[in-house]
Amino acid sequence: MNLALFFQQVVNGLAIGSVYAIFALGYTLIFSILGIINFAHSAIFTLGAYFTYALMGARFGFNGLLAQTALPFGLPFPLAVLGGGLLAGGMGVLVERIAFRPLRNRGADPLLMLVSSLGVAVALVNIIQYLVGAEAYSYPNALAGLPPSINLGVGGVPLIMRTVLVVIFIISMLILFALMRLMNHTKAGKALQAVAEDPVTASLLGINTDRLILLTFFISGFLGGIAGTLVGLSVTITGPYFGITFGLRGLAVLVLGGLGSIPGAVVGGLAIGIVEALVPPDLSGYKDAVAFAILLIVLFFRPQGLLGRTFIQKV
Amino acid sequence: MRLIRVVISSLVVAILLSASFALAQDVQPIKIGVAVAQTSNVALFGQEQVIGAKIAEAYFNEKGGVNGRPIQLVFQDTAGDEAGAINAFQTLIADTVVGIVGPTLSQQAFAADPMAEQAGVPVLAPSNTAKGIPEVGNFIARVSAPVAVVAPNAVRAALNLDPNIKDVVVFYAQNDAFASSETTTFQSTVTNLGLNLASVQTFQTTDTDFSAQITNAIALNPQLVIVSGLAADGGNLIRQLREFGYTGVIVGGNGLNTANVFPVCQQFCDGIIIAQAYSPAAESEINQTFRELYKAEQGKEPPQFSAQAFSAVQVFVEALIRLDNITKLDTLDLATQRNLLNLSVLAGGYETPLGMLSFTPTGEIVQEQFYVAQIKMNADGQTGTFEYIQ
Repeated sequence: MNLALFFQQVVNGLAIGSVYAIFALGYTLIFSILGIINFAHSAIFTLGAYFTYALMGARFGFNGLLAQTALPFGLPFPLAVLGGGLLAGGMGVLVERIAFRPLRNRGADPLLMLVSSLGVAVALVNIIQYLVGAEAYSYPNALAGLPPSINLGVGGVPLIMRTVLVVIFIISMLILFALMRLMNHTKAGKALQAVAEDPVTASLLGINTDRLILLTFFISGFLGGIAGTLVGLSVTITGPYFGITFGLRGLAVLVLGGLGSIPGAVVGGLAIGIVEALVPPDLSGYKDAVAFAILLIVLFFRPQGLLGRTFIQKV
Repeated sequence: MRLIRVVISSLVVAILLSASFALAQDVQPIKIGVAVAQTSNVALFGQEQVIGAKIAEAYFNEKGGVNGRPIQLVFQDTAGDEAGAINAFQTLIADTVVGIVGPTLSQQAFAADPMAEQAGVPVLAPSNTAKGIPEVGNFIARVSAPVAVVAPNAVRAALNLDPNIKDVVVFYAQNDAFASSETTTFQSTVTNLGLNLASVQTFQTTDTDFSAQITNAIALNPQLVIVSGLAADGGNLIRQLREFGYTGVIVGGNGLNTANVFPVCQQFCDGIIIAQAYSPAAESEINQTFRELYKAEQGKEPPQFSAQAFSAVQVFVEALIRLDNITKLDTLDLATQRNLLNLSVLAGGYETPLGMLSFTPTGEIVQEQFYVAQIKMNADGQTGTFEYIQ
């Protein structure tokens, strides 16, 4: 692999990794608050992509209950992305109500909540198929007016990037910045961190843990929905199942970065994105293997992940 | 009193049962299994197959089914992988179907067909085009013409459009049996036509980013790129190829032969040349009937995958009629029905929407007419058509 190709792949990896980061942040937030993995996250990822498609006023295809329907209005792409994210956030809250709250109120084992979320994931994906079929959808004229590729090279050395990946990277970075501001500079964000630290003490201090859990699921769903839209922008919504592979990678990023660590999710996402992009093309079938192998090696030396906290047991 | 009541109610039940049994005998439908991908990415093809099969079921039942007995298509979803196909086949075989139409992918067929072979259930593949499918067993046949016959037509059509083509880069999905088979045909066609096979690039059907392969390919300055993959990966590859600035001719294999590729490569799908085993304009009566039925339901021209699924059901129905005319089906046990149906399928000639079809003794399709189409995208970059060029 020559230097130009190497840099091109690193930049590709950063773009793809930024989407992994956003997606994994959704997992991380819920893990940090509730200590469980929300398997419905990949379904909300998928839903976000479909919501954005609908909000653009685009028409659904020939199969499913909603065949040939379209909303009577169409938003421009940036607004539709935001709207899709917000609706996905709403779905996150709904998932919390259906899959998690009843079990939490009964003091159920976290494993039960995990399984319940898996059930919700399968149900949601099948509902999508039932409503709009398995056809592929792409956002109509989302990047109209932009050239298909951009040359980021300097000094005569070309570094051709697909414009869509540059757009994705910019949007991801904006979202991450907004999330950092939310977590560190707002009351709600600080309250979230308090609940993540110790929910009992936080509620004793007057923090409404239930409402904060709802907020967490909303933000997590928002992040998942945005990630789904960005992936749909790059490679098309290839069907209701396109969130499944992302679900697995998101888990790898979650563990690599450190369970419950927000900066960890970002670092882990970018790391896995770059590692996958650097796998030689004729071995592209081993991308997942390479990503998980790196994960295993890191965990061997740092079981808490790259930026996770070590838990010291007091004797 | 109680005894009389028991006796009377038993009599009533017995009469009802025998009546329903008699009725059931008269209208008991003949079950034909359809095992295609109704979920997963492969549903991009499977959906079209389901539509074609359902149109066939309604059409042939309206014409009287098999000498008065209706057919009943039993659908089992294979999803996108081998395990799904095996499960679907096993379920259908246990469900007393006389034959199976499916599965969608050659990759799935190599795994699931041996199951049907062992159970003595005839299989008609509607879309398996890889080399070696009919040779899997005596009970396996196909209505989908093999890549070796269909694919070269597209390359010749490309040369007709641009006689200056010299250097060719071939892409194929190395984890898919159909793509691996189709690419050997494409590569040997390229060499046989005296063109320069500059490079062979591989990818996986699960890939979404092809920048490394594309950069390698564009560096060689080809005038023709040939892609063997499935709809989602192939479509993304072509989109990225054009985004990176490739302006030459693109030939797509059968895996791109679906309108579901339009939203994937969008306006970049324009101009892709794909060989066809079916044309909606073919003038036979059965094709025009099928075309009208399809258009009435779907509002567009029927695609190849739907026509092939329709033809597969048609072959089973006509073979069943022929068999029933010789020996009444309901006098045969299931194993014998399946066995004789297989022989009947292979022995017949069929006027289908694909044209006049027959089979070699190994179950390979004998088809006369092939076509080549070019994708023409509309201004919206979302919809388009396949325009036949020869």
